[in-house]
Amino acid sequence: MKSTKILERILIAIPTMLIIAILIFVLMRIMPGDPVDKMMGKGGNINIEEVQALEREFHLDLPISAQLKIFLSGIFHGDLGMSFQERRPVWELIAERIPPTLELALCALLFSLIISIPIGIISAVKQNSLIDRLGMAFAFLGISTPAFWLGIVLIIIFSVKLSIFPVYGRIAYVYKPIHITGMYVLDSILSGNWPALKDSIMHLVLPSVSLGAALAAVTTRILRSSMLEVLRADYVTLARTKGLSEYMVITKHALRNALIPTVTVVGLQVGMLLGGNMIIETIFGWPGLGRLVVTSIFNRDFPVVQGAVMFYALIYVAANLIVDIIYTYLNPKISL
Amino acid sequence: MKMKKILMLLLVTVLLFGLVMNVIAASKDTLVVGLLQGVISLDPANHRNRTSETVIRNMFDGLVTRGPDMKIVPEIAESWEWLNDKTCEFKIRKGITFHNGEALTAEDVEFTFNRIIKEGGMDGESSPRKGLLGPLESIEAVDDYTVLFKLSEPWTVLLKMLPHQQIVPKDYLEEVGTEEFRKHPIGAGPFKFVEGKLNERIVMERFEEYYGGSPDLPPVGIAPMKTVIFEVLPESSTRIAALLSGECDIVQNVSTTDAPLIEKNSNTVVKYAKGTRAYNLEMNLSKPPFDNINVRKAMNYAFDGNLLIEMVYGGKGNFFAGPLFPYEEMFDSSLKQYEYNPELAKVLLKEAGYPDGLSIVLDTETDLKEVAEITAGMLSEAGINCTVRLWEWGVLKPLLLKGERNLLFNYWGSSILDPVGYVDAKFLTNGRGNYSKYSNPEVDSLIAKGAISVDPVERKEIYKKMQRFIYADYFYIGWSVNSLTGCSADLINWEPIPDSRINLHDADFK
Repeated sequence: MKSTKILERILIAIPTMLIIAILIFVLMRIMPGDPVDKMMGKGGNINIEEVQALEREFHLDLPISAQLKIFLSGIFHGDLGMSFQERRPVWELIAERIPPTLELALCALLFSLIISIPIGIISAVKQNSLIDRLGMAFAFLGISTPAFWLGIVLIIIFSVKLSIFPVYGRIAYVYKPIHITGMYVLDSILSGNWPALKDSIMHLVLPSVSLGAALAAVTTRILRSSMLEVLRADYVTLARTKGLSEYMVITKHALRNALIPTVTVVGLQVGMLLGGNMIIETIFGWPGLGRLVVTSIFNRDFPVVQGAVMFYALIYVAANLIVDIIYTYLNPKISL
Repeated sequence: MKMKKILMLLLVTVLLFGLVMNVIAASKDTLVVGLLQGVISLDPANHRNRTSETVIRNMFDGLVTRGPDMKIVPEIAESWEWLNDKTCEFKIRKGITFHNGEALTAEDVEFTFNRIIKEGGMDGESSPRKGLLGPLESIEAVDDYTVLFKLSEPWTVLLKMLPHQQIVPKDYLEEVGTEEFRKHPIGAGPFKFVEGKLNERIVMERFEEYYGGSPDLPPVGIAPMKTVIFEVLPESSTRIAALLSGECDIVQNVSTTDAPLIEKNSNTVVKYAKGTRAYNLEMNLSKPPFDNINVRKAMNYAFDGNLLIEMVYGGKGNFFAGPLFPYEEMFDSSLKQYEYNPELAKVLLKEAGYPDGLSIVLDTETDLKEVAEITAGMLSEAGINCTVRLWEWGVLKPLLLKGERNLLFNYWGSSILDPVGYVDAKFLTNGRGNYSKYSNPEVDSLIAKGAISVDPVERKEIYKKMQRFIYADYFYIGWSVNSLTGCSADLINWEPIPDSRINLHDADFK
């Protein structure tokens, strides 16, 4: 039953994605700005024939309806088209950017959960204590600190002044893990390349902290408030009167229920993290999806933007589905 | 207690690791460059982008190249001769090999240029570099080491434009195809491609059989560096941090505000090169208020270009008199900058019917915001009150070409420092970058003549006349800014060049 529900949800996603594809296709073309003109840059020596040849090649000389037809028939054949600027298949460009983005997103998520879950629980259990106040102060700071500022400050302290972590990139050139998944941490573990593992982790620390700080702050606050609510519920009092240890009451009874709103928030944030973070990727020279999309929008590289937006839609649909599945695990009364 | 020990151990490991990292960064047969943006393609025919060219030209050589003084010198070509004003003969240097060991001959040169000028020349795709070759009609390999360039009309800047095209191997390309070539490019330059992701890092290794490069740019021979790495670092503060921490040896595009930070550090220096980008304030002549010459004059007297360069760029720049760069060959040195005179500007505005001053929107892009605001502040002293409006270029440009905006602050590149490619875009009626909507039949005809004149003296006269017309029409205020490159203090035999290419052939460490 459950698997048919999941399949149903996936099938519903297909028309959604198609509508998104058509919308973004039309929007990109309504937007002012000409891809060939962008390609030529602000400089002279442009030949009208070369501009026309490029327009013909990119089908920009055709009416929008004809271009849309080419695009849609491409999609149904599994072809997202070629990037105007790089002249490489769009899927290849996107696929290349997924592992770095995924790696960074997972590390940022891991960092934020490691920080937020204990602080959230302790703050709620020991409400108004010093730990609670410090925890909330940290959360407030995390929410209000812009990621780019945090990133630069971390670079100045830990890279330039203390020389502990590298400034940029994913791995030093001297270490080359074998390409398996494209995620260097995982690849180094799989291939048993320990120096590469160390180096890629060192490269991940600062961007993960910068990216994960805000998420950690949000999660801490949500978890604390839902824990507070749950701790006052009757069934928790009942559990206590049954004589269960405080540890059992909190972990088995309270936390599990308090996690439902937290999972919702984290799930949505993960969707955002997987889309790539333009700012963090730019600061740390991280070659992820966010940078690809923003650059492509400015360059009016239509096929890349179209492909990437469809990929985003897919991620959001998947993230929501996973959140729903986790709900059913946390509270079996909820069904898909 | 146990916890404390574990923490100490962790800290020590982390610190030791940091030290190891530093030692790696300090190995001196490797040079790391921090690039401003990703590379679009490693195929010399497949981009219109300076950063891509910078990387490509370390792997590929051209027929000719430029030294830091912008003079054209032979590279793969040994010599050249104009047979008539439409035909140029190049003699190819003997003994040059590509990275795969194949000899470079006239056939490769012919193939390279055909790939660019023919529609669909790159396995069905058209090159975006055709316009850089102007009226080049055909290329013909006469024998193994002689090539004829045939133009459809005379074109004086052919040689100045040739450093921007690099020679590719015909046999290899025909064998593997364009797509594979872009993944594993092979050239005849000082470094060969090892690996690379265009938006992350490109690694090259010294080519041991390199012919040595241009004899006019000593030292000649194989490169001192064993490995060169180009790292893509779009954020300027990251580039600076990477230079200061020793992870990069050269970083592109340092801003004047960051320069003191680099100068203060004993391990790093800033190097300067004259700019080839003209920044300009352009007034739309097709509608009020700038259709009135007195308003345009007032703008010129209200703008203190020298102060702006001093304040914003630490004096590292040049305020123009007229439209051309004061350090380019065709510049008319008899032209003088309009003096800063806000009182005169006010009088002129009054005469034009704006006794209480003029309010206007100054259009620009986000990256030029600060300078635009300073400019606006300066103009307000003379009663020209500008509101700065920031645009995304793709949105603004169509409006400019339709003549719908009034005042623009922007820039235009002229990497060869020649009027060709610059004046025909900015001042020719309906030129590609003519945002002032300037239209003057005499200027149009001078621009056309200048492009085909082959006599340098006559050419200069033509451009002098053109400059005087533009100067007297008061619609264009220009300046250039030196490009700043941050370098390791140990770096020797490397100087930045105005066309912003980073040639690492001779670069070495003390």
